[in-house]
Amino acid sequence: MNKEEKRIYEDIINDMEKEGIEISDELKKKIKKEVRERLKKEIERELQKLKKKKKKEKKEKEEYFIRFSLNIRLQHLILALGCIILIITGLPIKFHEAGWAEFYFKITGGIQVSRFFHRIGATLLVIVAIWHTIYLFTKKGWSEFKELLPRKKDFLDFLMNIKYFLGLSKERPRFGRYSYIEKFDYWAVYWGMVIMIGSGTLMWFHNFFLGVVPKFILDIAKEAHSDEALLATLAIVIWHWYNAHFNPEIFPFNPTIFTGKIDKERMLHEHPIEYEKILKEQKKKKEE
Amino acid sequence: MKKIVVFTLLFLNLYSQDIVSKNKRCFLCHGKEDYKIIENGKVKSLYVSSAEYYQSVHKDMLCTNCHYDVSTIPHLRKPKKIHCLQCHYAGNVVGAPVKEMPEKYKESVHGRAKEKGKKAPDCIDCHTTHYIRYHSDTLSTIHKRNIPLTCGKCHMKIVEDYSSSIHGEALKKGILETAVCSDCHQEHDILPPEDPRSTLNPKNVIHTCERCHADVTIMKKYGVPVKQVEAFKESFHGVALEYGVVRAANCVSCHGFHDILPSSDPRSPIHPKNLAKTCGKCHPGASENVAKGKYHIIAEEKEAGIVYYVYNFFKWFTLLVILGLVIHIILDLTGRAMKKVKKKAE
Repeated sequence: MNKEEKRIYEDIINDMEKEGIEISDELKKKIKKEVRERLKKEIERELQKLKKKKKKEKKEKEEYFIRFSLNIRLQHLILALGCIILIITGLPIKFHEAGWAEFYFKITGGIQVSRFFHRIGATLLVIVAIWHTIYLFTKKGWSEFKELLPRKKDFLDFLMNIKYFLGLSKERPRFGRYSYIEKFDYWAVYWGMVIMIGSGTLMWFHNFFLGVVPKFILDIAKEAHSDEALLATLAIVIWHWYNAHFNPEIFPFNPTIFTGKIDKERMLHEHPIEYEKILKEQKKKKEE
Repeated sequence: MKKIVVFTLLFLNLYSQDIVSKNKRCFLCHGKEDYKIIENGKVKSLYVSSAEYYQSVHKDMLCTNCHYDVSTIPHLRKPKKIHCLQCHYAGNVVGAPVKEMPEKYKESVHGRAKEKGKKAPDCIDCHTTHYIRYHSDTLSTIHKRNIPLTCGKCHMKIVEDYSSSIHGEALKKGILETAVCSDCHQEHDILPPEDPRSTLNPKNVIHTCERCHADVTIMKKYGVPVKQVEAFKESFHGVALEYGVVRAANCVSCHGFHDILPSSDPRSPIHPKNLAKTCGKCHPGASENVAKGKYHIIAEEKEAGIVYYVYNFFKWFTLLVILGLVIHIILDLTGRAMKKVKKKAE
């Protein structure tokens, strides 16, 4: 008999004694049993209620949207893989005088190995470039592209965000499908791809191009390739990784671009306008 | 004190007098210019110029110090062949200077060929037998100015190429900072280029040329650009060579070696008209386009031409972009931190 049971049981006995009712031992036992059983049921009921509430909360949290199609996810995966290979095999050539580059070449077996893998990375990049260009001509691709076009709102969002950072405004900008940060990343890739693939092709097939273009074009290609490589690396590691993964909101890893899923909470926080749009569309469908 | 000095001088004089007078007996015959014998059907001169001998490093030695088996005059038998190592070995009692040269020589192409019984130079072929002089002596066979002549005794074609090269021309003008055979090939430890220790191994060529061509004081004197080596190391050829591509071009791949000539000379492989052919040795597609542009460029320097501007564009562009992005991130982070602090305060 626990405390609660004892308290209720004693209350009942006391009440009965006050009324002057005689209590037999049998009755006492019955009361005890009744109290215990009723309490048990009560607790169970409460527990179930709590569980239900939690389940509901969880369900709400687990309610997710498909943010990126498999096509986009694969494009990103190959691009990311290509970039990582290119950075690892390329930077030691740029910084060949550094001790770490020397160490890198020592453990990987020399520059020929790096050149081979650099070309594999380059091939991945070219594949993505072609793939994405074709993708833009599909219905889905075109609508995504339209979403990514810079608008006046992006500039206003940017100003508002800065104000928000500085504490001058209490309101965060409300982003659509793509924030100005994501649009920046998208368009930066165009700049990078054109320069890197262009200059890279010149250098890859230098034996052919030596006969076609003046030597100084190849010199420019080498310089641009090396310089843009550093810019791209810094932009990816500092800017892209911070905004996508390392910012306190989502640290340390944001799986959305790999799984395609984004939960309702984040959707509401990061892309409220798109969320509203989706709800409207769903309503429309239901009405039809 | 005076007495002692006079005595020593007198003693030395007597001693040297002794050497001269003793050696005189040898020069009685060997001092005649036409003193010769016929050996194996060939005329062999046995003449030794006493005047030159007494200017050599061995002037204080008796003939018989080396030709120890000659005790009577006239000697009836042909004296045994002698070798420098008779005296120049570690721990010798006569005080002959010992350096590591003989050891180095043994490893060299000449030493190894000699060991196999091939015809190859030994000490005396470069240093001479009776007239050895210090390398600082302008009359020495191993004085810098005379080295091409010494090596040219055997390597005739090469010396011919060399003498018309820019290095050879400079030597003719008496410029001793120019490169002679031994500056690139070493002296005693001449190794084949295949040997990784060789100064002429593809990986080491750059360091061999660099010894002079990266030296500002020498290059400035003759108006030769000094940053070529540095620029080469920055180029893809340089990096590839550094990290394991032995066939990547090094200095001599384009410039040649014995017959190096400036690009202004139409005979030079780096003359603009010859560049297509020179580059074509490795890059089969090369056309006259390879002459349209600068060589040995350092992007950071204005001489690089258009590449300098490309470099600067990217430098400032990168700096600005990354600065902007970093500021955005910092604002984001500080904004978040401030809001957190405020919330806590509330």
